[in-house]
Amino acid sequence: MKGVSFDLAMSLMAGVFVSLIMLPMIALFSATSVGELVNQFRSTAVLSAVVISLETSLIVVLLALCLGIPVAYLLAMKEFRGKEILDTLVDLPVSMPPLVAGLALLILLGQNSIVGSTLSNYGISLIFSKKGIIIAQLFVSIPFLIKSTRVAFESINKNVTSASLTLGASKFYTFKNVLLPLAKNGICAGMVMTWARALGEFGATSMVAGCIPFRTETMTVAIYQDVMSGELTSSIAIALLLTVFSFTLLLTFKSRFKRQILL
Amino acid sequence: MGIVLKDILKSYNGRPVLKDLTLEVNTGEFHVLLGPSGSGKTTILSIIAGLVRQDKGDVLIGDRNVSGLPPEKRGIGFVFQDYALFPHLTVFDNMAYGLRVKKVEKNKISQRLGYYLGRVGIEREKDKFPHQLSGGQKQRVALIRALVTEPKVLLMDEPMSNLDALSKETIADELKSIQQETGMTTIYVTHNQDEAVLLGDRVSVLNHGAIEQIESPDELFYHPKTEFVARFVGAKNILKASVIEIKEHEAVVLVDHEGLNQPFKLQVKKYPIFEKGKGINLCIHPEKISLNRENEAGGNNVNRVMGKIIHKTNNGKAVKVTINTGGMELHAVIPKDIFDFEIHENVWVSFAADAPHPLCGKTCRAPYARRRCLNEMRNERL
Repeated sequence: MKGVSFDLAMSLMAGVFVSLIMLPMIALFSATSVGELVNQFRSTAVLSAVVISLETSLIVVLLALCLGIPVAYLLAMKEFRGKEILDTLVDLPVSMPPLVAGLALLILLGQNSIVGSTLSNYGISLIFSKKGIIIAQLFVSIPFLIKSTRVAFESINKNVTSASLTLGASKFYTFKNVLLPLAKNGICAGMVMTWARALGEFGATSMVAGCIPFRTETMTVAIYQDVMSGELTSSIAIALLLTVFSFTLLLTFKSRFKRQILL
Repeated sequence: MGIVLKDILKSYNGRPVLKDLTLEVNTGEFHVLLGPSGSGKTTILSIIAGLVRQDKGDVLIGDRNVSGLPPEKRGIGFVFQDYALFPHLTVFDNMAYGLRVKKVEKNKISQRLGYYLGRVGIEREKDKFPHQLSGGQKQRVALIRALVTEPKVLLMDEPMSNLDALSKETIADELKSIQQETGMTTIYVTHNQDEAVLLGDRVSVLNHGAIEQIESPDELFYHPKTEFVARFVGAKNILKASVIEIKEHEAVVLVDHEGLNQPFKLQVKKYPIFEKGKGINLCIHPEKISLNRENEAGGNNVNRVMGKIIHKTNNGKAVKVTINTGGMELHAVIPKDIFDFEIHENVWVSFAADAPHPLCGKTCRAPYARRRCLNEMRNERL
């Protein structure tokens, strides 16, 4: 009897959680009509925001792969001085408010800093540009890829790596043919999380890239701008698109991941 | 190619694991490293393979000092305790891995693997993944994966510890015959004395990072030279005694073991280390002890002690018996078909004069040039 009550209490809590997630979604979906949505998606401003968001977030995923996998490899497989510091640095963007991250990037890349002015001398301007969006999104989202990939590397049996080496394979061959394939699921999970985080990034992006329509206005920035200027219908349309996109992305990944585990 | 380890020192976090260890394994030899957990067996293999770097000392494979080389350049084959198969590759791809690394042609890979797959009877499993295989099949795949690249030496880290008794026996036979066919120098790590006897040409017994004894399996099991080796190989009868008389070929010792009610004399074979009045530890292998009823003669055995059976366990082919002989326990292993004693029965415990041998720490049954008995060394100095 006690066991049943316990399960019931747990289920009730889970019910509260489901309501917490589902009710805002339902509210969002019920706030507009299909006709209105179609109209909004014909608007060039909305389409531009969608394209900018997809473009920048996909580049961020690629950059995160290039930078994140080596960091995850080092953290998972090697012992070295300063490992704890590197580990903390990976966690920092997650715990730091995006606005603070954006402010830090703005100061670093602005004309008044050494980095900003040097880049400016070479004709490179990162502030208020798509490059700025990418840097801001990368800053806040890369930890998701690193952490997920690190766990994947750590879960690989060390003897499997040693076996590859004793069979004559170099470290690079082993990395390419053993470690990467075995960490594939973790890397994919990290990519999905990074992509979702980059797509949903608002605070740091708006600080670094501003809100210039057709140039730096991402979907999340557009939602904010539209709400502030009273254009609720277009913000709802973009919000719905983001929600459906994120949900589909996660669902697709989860079903694929589950199938692979069953195999 | 032979393997030489010279003065290998290895510590983990300041705790020494190997202490100036020196070992020579001959070309084509099947050498077994036998020892309890934590004795440093796996560390030795890892150092030979280059997976762990020693703090001091050299590793030679053939004539080449490989101490500074990474694992992939050492030309070794390694079979891991947990098989360490690549879980994302099929059986065929696992076995072909080393050959592909060496860029061997596809048709040659198929040809070579075809032979080995047939040799150990796993052709039908070649397209399966490791998780679909039994323990024995995984072991065979791991073995072939290491062998197909034709390494100079083969290192095996407790490869049969996860197998059932039947698979163990079959794989041990296959392993020994493949090793004899290829003549590959092999170092095999185990804590199981049966595996050591079955497979080894020579066995090294390790204790706390040092080799206590290197000998052929028969010598090791019937003539252990240290108390640790004796206990580890199951020769539990260690008697504390002192030499009271030395004759031409034999000696008389007085057993005065701790807990013994009444000291008794034994007639034993004379060993070079014997000196009148000197305290020694004698070891008697349980299989060299006979039991006779009170009214029976002890055969040709010159030594007889009365005792009472206090414990017996049946392990299938033999009965392990513990006999209390006036406060001291002796252990005997008697073939099951000739054992007809009851527990608490009084029996004569008898053994021949050459059954006990001293635990002097040195080999004395080796060819004369290699005898290192303390007595002889002293004589040499004089």
